[in-house]
Amino acid sequence: MIVPVIKVENLKMYYKTKMGYVQAVDGISFELEAGESLGIVGESGCGKTSVSMTLLRTLPENAHFMGGHVWFNDNGKMVDLTQLPEDEMRHYRWRGISMVFQAAMNSLNPVYKVGDQIVEAILNHYPDTPIDQAKAKVAKLFELVTLDPKRMEQYPHQYSGGMKQRAVIALSLACDPKVIIADEPTTALDVIVQDKILRELKKIQKELNMAMIYISHDIAVIAEVSDKIAVMYAGKFVEEADSTTIFKRPMHPYTFLLMNAFPSHVGPKKKLFTIPGEPPNLLNPPKGCRFAPRCPWADNRCREQDPEYVEVEKGHYLACWHPLTEEVRQNELRK
Amino acid sequence: MTNPVLIFVFAGLLPAVGVVYAIYKGKAPQNYIFLAISLALYYGALTNFRYLYLFSPRFNYILAPIIYFYGFNLSGLSKFIRNRLAQIVLLLVIYVTVVFFIFLAMPGDYTTKFLQDPKIRQNPEVYERMKQLFGVDDPWYVKYYKHMKNFFNLELGISFSEYPKRVEEIIAERLPRTLFLFLASSVLSFLLGFDLGKRIAWKRGGLTDKMATFVGIVFWTIFTPFYMLILIWLFAVTLRLFPLSGFITPTKWFDAPFSAQAVFIRLLLTELFMLVMWIIGIVVAGRLKTIRAKRTAIWGFVIGGAIIAFVYWAANGMGTYALDIVHHLALPVIALVTLHFAGDMLVMRDTMLEVIKEDYITTARAKGLPDKVIRDKHAARTALLPLMTSFVIGLASTVSGGVITETMFSWKGMGLTLLEATTAQDTPLAIGCLVFTGVLVLLAHLVADILYAFLDPRIRY
Repeated sequence: MIVPVIKVENLKMYYKTKMGYVQAVDGISFELEAGESLGIVGESGCGKTSVSMTLLRTLPENAHFMGGHVWFNDNGKMVDLTQLPEDEMRHYRWRGISMVFQAAMNSLNPVYKVGDQIVEAILNHYPDTPIDQAKAKVAKLFELVTLDPKRMEQYPHQYSGGMKQRAVIALSLACDPKVIIADEPTTALDVIVQDKILRELKKIQKELNMAMIYISHDIAVIAEVSDKIAVMYAGKFVEEADSTTIFKRPMHPYTFLLMNAFPSHVGPKKKLFTIPGEPPNLLNPPKGCRFAPRCPWADNRCREQDPEYVEVEKGHYLACWHPLTEEVRQNELRK
Repeated sequence: MTNPVLIFVFAGLLPAVGVVYAIYKGKAPQNYIFLAISLALYYGALTNFRYLYLFSPRFNYILAPIIYFYGFNLSGLSKFIRNRLAQIVLLLVIYVTVVFFIFLAMPGDYTTKFLQDPKIRQNPEVYERMKQLFGVDDPWYVKYYKHMKNFFNLELGISFSEYPKRVEEIIAERLPRTLFLFLASSVLSFLLGFDLGKRIAWKRGGLTDKMATFVGIVFWTIFTPFYMLILIWLFAVTLRLFPLSGFITPTKWFDAPFSAQAVFIRLLLTELFMLVMWIIGIVVAGRLKTIRAKRTAIWGFVIGGAIIAFVYWAANGMGTYALDIVHHLALPVIALVTLHFAGDMLVMRDTMLEVIKEDYITTARAKGLPDKVIRDKHAARTALLPLMTSFVIGLASTVSGGVITETMFSWKGMGLTLLEATTAQDTPLAIGCLVFTGVLVLLAHLVADILYAFLDPRIRY
């Protein structure tokens, strides 16, 4: 049996506001093995970034952890990151789980040299490392992300956007983490640089055999790099399966509509779907299935009872009362 | 000053050595015209050649080196400092001009003060002589030229209110007192404001935050003279901890073998020495890695400096007299520090709250850095920059602040002298005070600008 590197069980995190709790992450489960990559895709505001922040526990003050577990494999021993005191959690950050940030433009401190900021991370977790050695390692990482190691001595404002993104990737690799969360790693970049960086990320991930979590609203990006895809809607995972299954045989209506809501560059012209309505307010989410108000297939049960998130086939998880069959999908596409 | 050897050294040898050295370093002069102008200015200064200086030959000694460096294609900080120095000299000329016109426009001057004196009026010969001496009937441009010439020759005239003394002497005596007060209070209040601001911002919303913000706003908005009166009443009258006012206790100095000024200058040098030790400590700490080592380095230098200073004062026999001055200094310093730290603290708190929201703070947290490292190394370091800006802007108010503080505590510095000279219509002294306080502020600006350039790597000059 393969032991996962990270296993998330029923993770819940709410933001407390004056109006009540915003249910940003509401019962999320998944697991990842070494060398595997998971893509989390969903609309803006569905809680993707909150998931990554909950895993690392770098949450803002008004965030409240409401339950669940994050089991992290620390050399064979499973540690529940949610239960650790802050002081011990520190040691798992970056060494265990590191992150490529969404806003790479501002993720580096403007007043310190980029190289020094990466050296700082290494020295923080391995205080006995001689500085020369740490610097040599950073130089190596710079080469890995195709940055000139001479640029270690420069400040972030002397970098271009793409270079900053690479530097942030180098930073995330500094302490040889087991899991890397890439939160919209390429959103701010143009398509060509985007493609290059994604390829690099994937290559590095396979080389170093790390587990990777990609977070993006862009299905194309996710499809390119991840082995498994989880579709997130309104704070919950609605479907998770390997990439081909998600694209070829989506069972959740939301996944199906999402996949067919953007045109393809190749293949024949096809019908484009729109999803009516708008994402629910997470302060007061609809009763039952959260997608029910926008779902063309919804019935009374959908509006009353929340479907369980269960494994319907091997490696295919789903939360829906009316999984789409092949027939329904074909019918819809032919209409 | 027409010694040919001196002329050769200053106008020939030194610039030549400079040029040779620059070429050797691979930085050849770009524009030889500036070098020629600079040489001409040196020559004019040394030979007192009438057409080679504007107001005073001495002024050339300031101008020539700045112009000299315009011949080189400098870059980065050196270029910035050169340009800033040139600006400051220009500002100084403008400032002295403005001061002149203010005094020209003011109603009532020394003509009314002296020439209306019945004794002089009765004697027409003396009256005419005095008028000629003071240049009362000169047109304004002649007056202006004389004013500028005298200022840049550092001949500020003789004070009326403290008659036989020359203005330069009075300023040489009073400027250090203001400088001491100003340095001690601004450095202390800056440190206090910075430290408190960062702490309360980090623990925002707590009781300490609310209390400190409240106290800060009270100190920030309080009416200064009233607050100083309360301080005097509390510490000097009721508790009798500090003397009421003044510079020294005369009875203690009755048979002192040295002047109060001599002791005070040494005190000022001690203060500067401590400041330099502290800055060295910071520079050394910048090369160390762990927070503990940094802290040890800074405190090591500060405490080491304090021990050296203590030994020095214990050994030179002036210790008890110095203590008397320090005793008198305490209350004004306390007043200024409590008044000024509040503004720094509030600015620091606000910028910290902004900085905490930045993405690089999240990065620092995600990197697994300890809380204190994030606060001190990442958040406070960036929040320091706006604080420096507000500090620089605040320098200007030091002039007006100095007048009030020094008057309240009868601390005979530039502020009080200015006030007394103005009320006594002692024009030469008032002009001298105004101009030299201005020079002080201009220099403080220069220092702050250079510091800023070191602190923010994003600034390119």
